Amino acid sequence: MDIDPSKILVRYNVAKEKAQTPEEMAAELYPSTEPAKTICAAIFDGEEDDVIEGLEKAIEGGADPVALIDDVLMVGMKIVTDLYDQGVIFLPNVMMSADAMLEGIEYCKEQGGAAPKPKGKVVCHVAEGDVHDIGKSIVAALLRAAGYEVVDLGRDVPVDEVIAAVKKESPMMLTGTALMTTTMYAFKEVNDRLLESGIKIPFQCGGGAVNQDFVTQYELGIYGEEAADAPKMADAILSGKGLAQLKEQFHKH
Amino acid sequence: MVKRYTSLAYKNADDMIFGKSVYPVKAELGLEVGAGYVTGEVNYAPRPEAGVSKEKLVSEYRRLTTDIMARAVQVGFPGISLETEHVEQMTNNPDWGGEVAHVQKTIMEEYHEEYGIKTALRHTPGDVRENRDLLALIGPKYDVLMESFEAVADAGADFLSIETMGGKEVLDYAILRNDIPGLVYAIGCLGSIDMTMIWEDIRKIADKKGRIAAGDTDCSQANTAMFIAGGLLDKNLAHTIAIIARAISAPRTLAGYEAGAQGPGKDCGYENTIVKAITGCPIAQEGKTSTCAHSDVMGNLVMQCCDLWSNESVEYHGEFGGTSVQCWSESLNYDAAMLNVATETGNAKMLRDILVLSDKYRDPQGYVLAYDNAYKVAEAIAKDGDNLYLRSKNAAIACCDLLTSADPKKLVMSKFEINALNDAKAALDAMTDEESTFMSDSMEKYKAEVAVFRPEDNYKF
Repeated sequence: MDIDPSKILVRYNVAKEKAQTPEEMAAELYPSTEPAKTICAAIFDGEEDDVIEGLEKAIEGGADPVALIDDVLMVGMKIVTDLYDQGVIFLPNVMMSADAMLEGIEYCKEQGGAAPKPKGKVVCHVAEGDVHDIGKSIVAALLRAAGYEVVDLGRDVPVDEVIAAVKKESPMMLTGTALMTTTMYAFKEVNDRLLESGIKIPFQCGGGAVNQDFVTQYELGIYGEEAADAPKMADAILSGKGLAQLKEQFHKH
Repeated sequence: MVKRYTSLAYKNADDMIFGKSVYPVKAELGLEVGAGYVTGEVNYAPRPEAGVSKEKLVSEYRRLTTDIMARAVQVGFPGISLETEHVEQMTNNPDWGGEVAHVQKTIMEEYHEEYGIKTALRHTPGDVRENRDLLALIGPKYDVLMESFEAVADAGADFLSIETMGGKEVLDYAILRNDIPGLVYAIGCLGSIDMTMIWEDIRKIADKKGRIAAGDTDCSQANTAMFIAGGLLDKNLAHTIAIIARAISAPRTLAGYEAGAQGPGKDCGYENTIVKAITGCPIAQEGKTSTCAHSDVMGNLVMQCCDLWSNESVEYHGEFGGTSVQCWSESLNYDAAMLNVATETGNAKMLRDILVLSDKYRDPQGYVLAYDNAYKVAEAIAKDGDNLYLRSKNAAIACCDLLTSADPKKLVMSKFEINALNDAKAALDAMTDEESTFMSDSMEKYKAEVAVFRPEDNYKF
């Protein structure tokens, strides 16, 4: 028994696929001048060695290593994240490009002895009792790729440690991920302890069992349905949006 | 040394059907799994605030168990299976899990005695073998885990299960980088090594306590891949990569049976159809009736060979139709009733094929897991069944070959999926046939690239 499946399903992803390949779309966005063009292409391809080689040539040619971070590496990464946001490329491409970009940044820092100022600082953690950290790792990588400094507290992080880190680092945003219903209850404790300390920063929460209904039970909570919401939320905070506006923008249900 | 499977339990794919397995298992209160009928297996999670104390958790499970049993009797179902997946507090404090199992089994016995309803209780301790930063598969946490199994077995759990984490430290790195050799190493090799160790010990406990070592699943890895892949418009992972990870998960799950598991396999193991073809053991599955927990693209298809039909997990709370566990257990058992009528009227294969065809072409994942294709993956695994590496690689290659030879007018894949598939096949073709070479090269590579990978501490190579 077999069928023609065309009447019972639609593969919308195929229907929506662009005529251009991702590589063609990226090429249209690269800077026109060298070595920026080659370095950006190497970031897109996730080729760490080629990124370093391009940076070496640029520095030999007189470029300021620290300036290369903002002027070239971040430009290349933005092409990648923009195409990801448009649904043209997939997460593994972003992760590999981020690896290449971060290696490039380290190289530039070594060469220049200084580092550019990040857009902001974010503290990331996985809820106490929960060891599932792939979601947090994706969030951290996307934030770094967008130019934010990430303080990654790791997984199964006690509430006390989260509070201490926030006090020490004074981040613009805290993120928390959890897979299970009973571990995500720690988010509420984090929220209450932050408020007791008079700290009112957005607390982005997401992951497996976490849902908007739960997150809206506590004042600082902003529900992040997708890992890709994290840098968008950070950008929104930088643009001056407060808790109420963040909830309005990111709470979809 | 465990004996590896090198042949299939079924002579041909068409013999595989829901409700019937070659080697059924029987629980204490009369429920048989794989003996010719399908039963609903309801699964649940306590509300967030219930985890704060043992008393609150036990009370939560007492109430939800009573709810489920009452609904099953009210609607007239002949049997029901319950699965308690531990929250971490219950495994880390074995007496908590034991107390919950005892309370649940007592309620189930009361209903069995009063109404004759057949029931079974599965307990699934959480894989707590981790330190704050690293997997700690061998050591004190392992001992706690075994104590948890002892406690729930003592307290009356019929089926003992777990979702092990072996290999996950490498998988989490590899899956986000389209690293196919990394998937083979993480799932097929590291995962199988861990499975072999843990299931020999679970089987010993089950035998000692008169319980059934049920089964494991590659939830921590293949399901991670499936969840990241998401739906048709998600852009996080190619669905072709997700199904390759799934194909590799079958030999991993198989390792549990080789070390002593007897089924029913765990519900979220979408690889279970492949595994059933090889072992002949009964399986639980989940699909359209687990949308309370997650979405997938094969809601009907996975029902094809199930012996238990599960809802994956639902938080315990109120719905219009009763509590959530009542609603979902009712839905599950109506599904089971439909399947059982098909069996009773001689239409089982017809219904199975309708279920399969409703999803077979929806996605590369469903296509490979359709029982006829799953059987081909099973054959590829058994061909080199005594070699953990080769059988995993074979599974991945068989998966790629099935997709590339599919009718492109029926299985319509995006360019991205096809490119990812071609890249994966090229990576597989470039891999060695020598297990020792692969293992030593992989250990060196991932020790260098994955900071949390500590093979010497975690795997008995």
